[in-house]
Amino acid sequence: MSTIYKFAEVELGDELPNETPDVSMAKVTSFCTSAKHLFERFTDHEAAKKEGFPGAIVPGIMSQGLLAAMIHKWAPGCNIMSIDTVFRGSLLVDSNITMTGAVTDTDDDEMTAELDLSIIAEDGRTGVIGTAKVQFLS
Amino acid sequence: MNQASSQQDMTSVRQDWVGVEFDWATFEMKTDEMIEWARACGETDARFLDPGHHDFQAHPGFTTHCMSGRVLPENFPKIGGGFGIDGGKRVEVHAPIRAGDVLTATTTIADIFDKTGRSGTMIFIVQRMEFRNAAGELVSTVDWKMIKKAE
Repeated sequence: MSTIYKFAEVELGDELPNETPDVSMAKVTSFCTSAKHLFERFTDHEAAKKEGFPGAIVPGIMSQGLLAAMIHKWAPGCNIMSIDTVFRGSLLVDSNITMTGAVTDTDDDEMTAELDLSIIAEDGRTGVIGTAKVQFLS
Repeated sequence: MNQASSQQDMTSVRQDWVGVEFDWATFEMKTDEMIEWARACGETDARFLDPGHHDFQAHPGFTTHCMSGRVLPENFPKIGGGFGIDGGKRVEVHAPIRAGDVLTATTTIADIFDKTGRSGTMIFIVQRMEFRNAAGELVSTVDWKMIKKAE
């Protein structure tokens, strides 16, 4: 099932629909403005290269925000109780990245689900792994 | 430094510093920044995009951008090399953060530990920021893992 509206629709092992979020320079710069994280390694490819990166990189906290948005798209109205991300490698601005997720546990009494999350870089490396716990209201 | 004395040092650093509160700051939650953050993340839920929504609130990880002035406590011992890299963040959402909220954040050292793998021993320093609203309600906890290579 691609979109979940009620806890009863959640099944252990369900996969969230893969997402390819927009990490264009315009989007990342907009994020950095809202976060007051206007560092050149995020917003300027050439400056990032001078710091030793292959190009400008997506801020770690933005990658967590992208995953949160994916969860809300999968289950509109759910509440994210916690989200934990580990930054394993850089994700490049203006590249194609893919987000994945899967349900790894559910609690019928609390109407919660636990999710495994990841973001794969364009070259196939895993850039971010994580988990989240979400609660449904009905 | 041999492994035994290194282990002893880590134990002593843990005993002395885990739980120490070392920074305090306030942050105003601004509507336009909350919306721009959510929009840049590709959010589609009106709760995070529409200030007219009855449940308008900050995106779950919005507090992760709130940096206090100090990364480590004053006089914190030099462990590991370099400034450290950002190993990731864990956010716990306790209650919605509303536009205009002024949050008070306290920062503590939540944990210090090491792990040894193929690339050697890495030291993890977990910095915890707890955010409370004007009513004193805990709304968000952010754990930030700083990773340093053991020297």
